[in-house]
Amino acid sequence: MWFRTPGGDLLLDYIPVLVHFVIVVGLTAALPALHALVGGSRPTPPKMEPYESGVWTIGSTRERVPIRYYLIAMLFILFDIETVFLFPWAVVYRRLGAFGLIEMLVFVGVLGAGLIYAWKRGALEWE
Amino acid sequence: MPIPIEDLWSLVPEFWLAALGLLLVLLDLFLPGDRKRLVGWAAVVGLLLVLMPILGMLGTPARTVFFNTYAVDGFAVFFKIIAVVATILVILSTMDALRGHTSFEGEMYVLLTFAALGVCLMAASADLILLALSIEFVSLSSYVMAGYFKSDLRSNEAGIKYFLFGAASSAVMIYGFSILYGLTGETNLYAIADRVRTAPQPALVLAVGMALAGLGFKVSMVPFHQWTPDVYEGAPTPVAAFLAVASKAAGFAALVRFLMVAIEPGPVDWVAPIAGLSAVSMTLGNLLALPQRNIKRMLAYSSISHAGFLLMGVAAHRGDFGAPGLLIYLLAYTFTNLGAFFVAIAVGGRLGSDEIPSYAGLAQRSAGLAAVMALFMLSLTGIPPTGGFLGKFYIFGAAVNNGLLWLAVVAVINSVVALYYYVNVIRVMYLLPAPSGGSASGPVPLRLALGVAALGTLVIGIFPQPFVTLVGAAAMLLRM
Repeated sequence: MWFRTPGGDLLLDYIPVLVHFVIVVGLTAALPALHALVGGSRPTPPKMEPYESGVWTIGSTRERVPIRYYLIAMLFILFDIETVFLFPWAVVYRRLGAFGLIEMLVFVGVLGAGLIYAWKRGALEWE
Repeated sequence: MPIPIEDLWSLVPEFWLAALGLLLVLLDLFLPGDRKRLVGWAAVVGLLLVLMPILGMLGTPARTVFFNTYAVDGFAVFFKIIAVVATILVILSTMDALRGHTSFEGEMYVLLTFAALGVCLMAASADLILLALSIEFVSLSSYVMAGYFKSDLRSNEAGIKYFLFGAASSAVMIYGFSILYGLTGETNLYAIADRVRTAPQPALVLAVGMALAGLGFKVSMVPFHQWTPDVYEGAPTPVAAFLAVASKAAGFAALVRFLMVAIEPGPVDWVAPIAGLSAVSMTLGNLLALPQRNIKRMLAYSSISHAGFLLMGVAAHRGDFGAPGLLIYLLAYTFTNLGAFFVAIAVGGRLGSDEIPSYAGLAQRSAGLAAVMALFMLSLTGIPPTGGFLGKFYIFGAAVNNGLLWLAVVAVINSVVALYYYVNVIRVMYLLPAPSGGSASGPVPLRLALGVAALGTLVIGIFPQPFVTLVGAAAMLLRM
């Protein structure tokens, strides 16, 4: 039967997940529908303000961000991820030994070449 | 689990390509703006050198390294040769095509080198995770290259379109891979092959179908072909040449390894759908190529129809003709199609137009260019004594051998239809009068690349024996 997995367990074991799914979809559809039916609506200007933890809104949401910001942000993420790799390496440094050191030097070297490129091409200048 | 150090020797070409790319990045930085072409020559020298370790692996026994995730066999070596040779030729053709369009000339050579590395990785991946990563590697380099001319709207459109289509189809493919992992509990292709027999069939069909979306996108197979004409037209012409040849070859390498290693032992009949898609691809590609006026769009639709012919080789994989047919077709197609794009670069660079009518009277303006273009068009049609004929001969033989006679008939009809638009280019070049003077021969590196492409097309057609031996070895090692 096709609904048997190779291990032999029935996919029927997943019936609770299906029930959960149906309840979630049903509830998220029912609540707004109920609100629209019996809730009523008397809008006043303060009610139509976006709610941000009771703080007054300042300025527009559609602020323009300089495109340099994205360049710097991407570089930041890149080197942030580098540290994410460096920490676990530092923890098991003794066990990995020389091979781990060389591998990490190669990794840092590749990123370093990228940093030199970005630097030389002026990606770090805010001008 | 320590990493087996001796396995590193099997990855010398890949390490070399990665180091070459990094070296080129730094070289590009420290060269003044008018000497950037040196980066291109350095890339060509580096890529020629990497051919040595790759060719050295031809005779070695097939094996997998790094815990069975990476295959070192004739099949992978064959595609690495195609990737490196195609990249060398594309770099040669790029050298003057970028001038005046962009200030980032050196980066193009770097991206092409890294894309070549990605193609090598795709051809040799024997693990779904590595396969997905290397496909993304090729894709990311290609997205940037397709949108390379920042100030050109069409190039921007090409980059964005390629990115959106690519990202969507990659997502579907990786979802398919994850279903396959769920069914078999393995990501390794050879381990999946052991377990795929007992996998439930409908879910397996779903997984294979979804994986085909990503791989079909790479080879521009119908119905995942819509990006092809727009991207080829908008991208810089050398990039279009790279996408049409190296990227497509990599897609076929991954497709063949995935289907024949992992899925073949399973209960899913993939031959019939692939044969059907092959027929649809070649027919649709051909019919849409007929009315094209832009040479790059025409070549794009022709590349869709060639994807159909190549899929025919995938479907007819059993017997002595199938896999070798696919490989030799791909080899001939590499040289021929690169050559056709190189002529488009030469003409487009001189006349500033990619429209077929502007090829009028090319035979009088520059006889050599017209002659090689005629050769490439005949080879794309599959007329002897060109390489295209040998490829078609093998693939048709394979189809008949595998009982796919109907597909062979469709392919023959399609070849006749294709004759119309390929010969139309020859007609325009030779029979129509030239509107104005001015020769249209390209710069020296481009002419060198054109010469190699023409020579390759002719030699494969006239003296095929060494190539047949090569692909025979490459195809036999495939299943290990």
